[in-house]
Amino acid sequence: MAIEYKKSLAIFSGNVSVEEAEGLLDFFVKNPKGKINVADCSHIHAANLQVLMVVKPIITNEPKDMDLQTWLHIALK
Amino acid sequence: MKNILVIDDAATVRLYHCNILISAGYHTDEAINGIEALEKALTHHFDLYIVDINMPKMDGYEFLKELRSKDIPQAPAIMVSTESAKNDEMLAYNAGANLYLVKPVKPDELLSFTRILLGEGI
Amino acid sequence: MNALLEQFLSESRDFLQGIADKLMQLEENPNSTELMVELFRFVHTLKGNSGLFDFPEMTRVLHASEDLMDAVRNGRVHYSQELADQLLEAMDFVGILMDEVEGTGQLSNQHSEVSAALAQSLRALIVSAPEDSIEIGSDAISILLESSEISIPKTNVTAEKPTLNLPEEIAVELYRTAKSGDVVTLLEYAPEAECFFKGEDPFFLVRQIPDVLWREVTTLNNAPLAEMDAYSCQLIFRVITTADVIELRELFRYVPEQVNFKTLEAASFILPDGEKEEDALQDEFIASALELLNKDDTATLIRSTETMLGLVAPTLWFSSALRWLLIILECDAENQALKRILIESLHTFELPNLTNLAAEIVVEKSPVEEIIEKSAIVLSEKDHARFDMIMKSQRDVLRLPNNNNAVFVGRLKAVATTLKGCCLALNKNSDAVEVEKALETAISENSSEALLTWLANYTIPTEKTVEIVESEKMVKSEQDVEKLIISPEKETHDSSLIMPNRRAEDNAPASKTLKVDQEKIDRLMNLIGEMVVAKNALPYLANRAETVFGVRELSREIKAQYAVINRVAEEMQDTIMQVRMMPVSFVFQRFPRMVRDISRKLGKEVHLVLEGENTEADKNIIEALADPLIHIVRNSLDHGLELPEIRKAAGKPAEGKLLIRASQESDRVLIEIIDDGKGINPEVIKNKAYEKGLIDETTLERISDQDAVNLVFAAGFSTAEVISDLSGRGVGMDVVRSAVEKVNGTVGIESEVGKGTRLFLSLPLSMAVTNVMIIESNKQIFGVPMDMVVETVRVPFDQIQAIKQKQTTVLRGKIVPLLSLNELLAQNIDQIPNEGNEFATLIVRIHGENVGILVDDFRETVDIILKPMAGILGGLSGYSGAALLGDGSVLMVLNPRELI
Repeated sequence: MAIEYKKSLAIFSGNVSVEEAEGLLDFFVKNPKGKINVADCSHIHAANLQVLMVVKPIITNEPKDMDLQTWLHIALK
Repeated sequence: MKNILVIDDAATVRLYHCNILISAGYHTDEAINGIEALEKALTHHFDLYIVDINMPKMDGYEFLKELRSKDIPQAPAIMVSTESAKNDEMLAYNAGANLYLVKPVKPDELLSFTRILLGEGI
Repeated sequence: MNALLEQFLSESRDFLQGIADKLMQLEENPNSTELMVELFRFVHTLKGNSGLFDFPEMTRVLHASEDLMDAVRNGRVHYSQELADQLLEAMDFVGILMDEVEGTGQLSNQHSEVSAALAQSLRALIVSAPEDSIEIGSDAISILLESSEISIPKTNVTAEKPTLNLPEEIAVELYRTAKSGDVVTLLEYAPEAECFFKGEDPFFLVRQIPDVLWREVTTLNNAPLAEMDAYSCQLIFRVITTADVIELRELFRYVPEQVNFKTLEAASFILPDGEKEEDALQDEFIASALELLNKDDTATLIRSTETMLGLVAPTLWFSSALRWLLIILECDAENQALKRILIESLHTFELPNLTNLAAEIVVEKSPVEEIIEKSAIVLSEKDHARFDMIMKSQRDVLRLPNNNNAVFVGRLKAVATTLKGCCLALNKNSDAVEVEKALETAISENSSEALLTWLANYTIPTEKTVEIVESEKMVKSEQDVEKLIISPEKETHDSSLIMPNRRAEDNAPASKTLKVDQEKIDRLMNLIGEMVVAKNALPYLANRAETVFGVRELSREIKAQYAVINRVAEEMQDTIMQVRMMPVSFVFQRFPRMVRDISRKLGKEVHLVLEGENTEADKNIIEALADPLIHIVRNSLDHGLELPEIRKAAGKPAEGKLLIRASQESDRVLIEIIDDGKGINPEVIKNKAYEKGLIDETTLERISDQDAVNLVFAAGFSTAEVISDLSGRGVGMDVVRSAVEKVNGTVGIESEVGKGTRLFLSLPLSMAVTNVMIIESNKQIFGVPMDMVVETVRVPFDQIQAIKQKQTTVLRGKIVPLLSLNELLAQNIDQIPNEGNEFATLIVRIHGENVGILVDDFRETVDIILKPMAGILGGLSGYSGAALLGDGSVLMVLNPRELI
């Protein structure tokens, strides 16, 4: 599982593929205040990025990957 | 298949334009002057005309005027000229052209305009 | 070589010839506007054609020629001899370039100097046009426009804020980077909505971009979360990078149509930002700064700017501009204009569309851009510009006045079709319906107004339509639109299918002329030749059926069948001969130009008359005719016709006359070249021939005048006292003679001192079928062309006498030298006489003299297809070729002229 859902927290790990987008969207529809932990995430597919951009969730743990961190900051600004 | 009439007295230019259009899947017909073009336009359906200006017997301006004055479906016409003169351009519009391009028209340019004018997307 | 280039070369040669012809005709008729217009069109078309290829040297010269002819055509420049010379020279140059292209498939770069020089001298002939002639043109247009009463609704296109919202520190950094010489590129990537289904990950792609200086990602998605489609990509990425554009293109090679690259100039980053509040000190600062700028006192300007910065709130626009000023003073101190503009902008807090460079980012919203936003189709910059161009053109068309109602309505319809095309291309089917409505209104009102209004409204941004809504509308209206747009005639018409690369002839659109490669004709002819031969085997077969197998019935049937095949074969042969026939004008057409050039060079006045240009002969004959004929014409001009003064002194008109006439006499073509020059003096020829050792003293005394004149054809004879650059290239008329004889032609000359000279060539119409007599010698058979055989006789052994070790006989009172064929063929065997001790002797006529050739026996005469021998055998001049006989054996055909 590239995304592990815990109540109102989505934990991303590794490379999050395009198939996750639907589930992620459902998660946020149910948890509009849901947060994300992307510490161990190296890349998220654009489909997921798009969902995150609309929701702009709070990031509990920043990605270790600096490039991804920069992008997420800009995208979720 | 869309049908395009290429009108030019120079066989080389006709071949050039037809090659481009045919390679993109269009059907083409040719005419070597305005008179021949008009004959074809009145007997066949064309979706686009590519017209040279300077031709013997009947030039491009005259051809377009004749064409536009006929009660037939009016397909767009691209006038191609070797001169990029505003004067010529306005004369072309006055005769009934819809677009004025300067020779040589690059293949991608010709195809792009053709697709737009034929409403086929970009 | 590709077909297009081949077409170009073939067509262009016709045009070059046409240009030369027209120039010649203009010489006779310098005031003919018709010729002038034709000439212009030729040059113009030729230039247009050359523009399709990368031959700048050729195009340059043609362009200059076209401009010159345009000036002539419009009466701005007068046609002159000099002008014609220049143009001819230019066309010769173009011809040379074409030869090179034909030979090598390309153009070397060594011609640029000549090309430039030619173009320059052509342009030098275009004297500056009198003002009035230009004004007529532009007046016509302004009238065209002024008389248009239609008012155009102004579109309120507001220049929007730069779409890039760069923080100042990043802008400064980018500015410095760009200033340092790095190429700064803005990459805009709008993935298509369905891209996720194609396995693409646009985000991953974007993350591969190296050397990123700034990045941004936005989404067009503003629908409620519950309605969001996670799998429809609505992202737009924008990245500024110093990476190489080529590298970037490579990275995005699978989605090139979805990316846009823009090179950003340093100045485009200078965008001061902040609160636009006035400061008490600003006017004073501006005045002093401008003064310092004028004095070019940069040091003080920097100091005073720094001081000022300390006094104003950093959040002000004013402050931001001052910081930019400092940076410019540091990085681009030489750019006075930029500094001035920035300082002056402090008055208004608006940076005027300052920098044409800044405009790179501040893209004016054109109508097309609005369309894109609504339908979410991402256009490349180029396509964008194309839509814009089409829209603008339609506006231009609609603004034109109604000069002719029928044309006007047709124009409206065509504009509507064009606009509908644009709408459909943008997937805006509903707009196409609107266009159709506007057209109906326009036609009923007989005015462009409705369509113009539609166009104008199209540019005004309305509500930001969400795509989903839009597409719903589309579904509904789509079918209606289809009905409207597809015209009833829209049916395929296969009858009109025409091959794209067919070639139509200018002069006869209706005629079905076909240009065929000569090789194909030759091949066809060879095949027919073989069939004729194969057919000849049938009589042998019939014979064998009867004599060997004793089946008489079959023999008769074969013979009957043979008659049919024979007739068909003969018809085929005739037809193919007809195909190969071409008019002598092919050769004649080059004479006007040549005669003109040469006579000008020699200072002679010559009136050239061509007659019988339509006379036809086999292509090979015509081609073989070209060189000898040119040589003869040169000779006439050089040695025959006199200078104008000399002619006048002799009581002749100053202008000499040269007549070249072609005519057909039974199966031969006769070409005459007649001049009214000084003629050939037999005395001069005799002495010259004697000097050169061509004749001995006795001949010198006894030779007739006519025979003396014929001496000009003797090998090694050249009358020119001074070897001129024209004809006397060390060769004389003997070259002409041998060239003509090669194709079984003859040449003759008549001349009268003081009156002129007449040269005549007689050539066979066709060289395909040769009638030969078969002879036998040393157990072999040979063919001898019948047209050389005068008669066949049997000479009794005792009537052969030896004179000076040469065998001769007397035939009807004339001494005829006798030669043995075996000896001529270097076979040391005596000829075999018949039972009556008579030798079979072939009397042939060679150079006007009868010679007897002794052979063993005569056989029948046959028609054969003579094929020249190729390879090593081709070097054997004693044979004119070989042919296949009906029984399949090979017949060697002798060439007695060379043999003896």
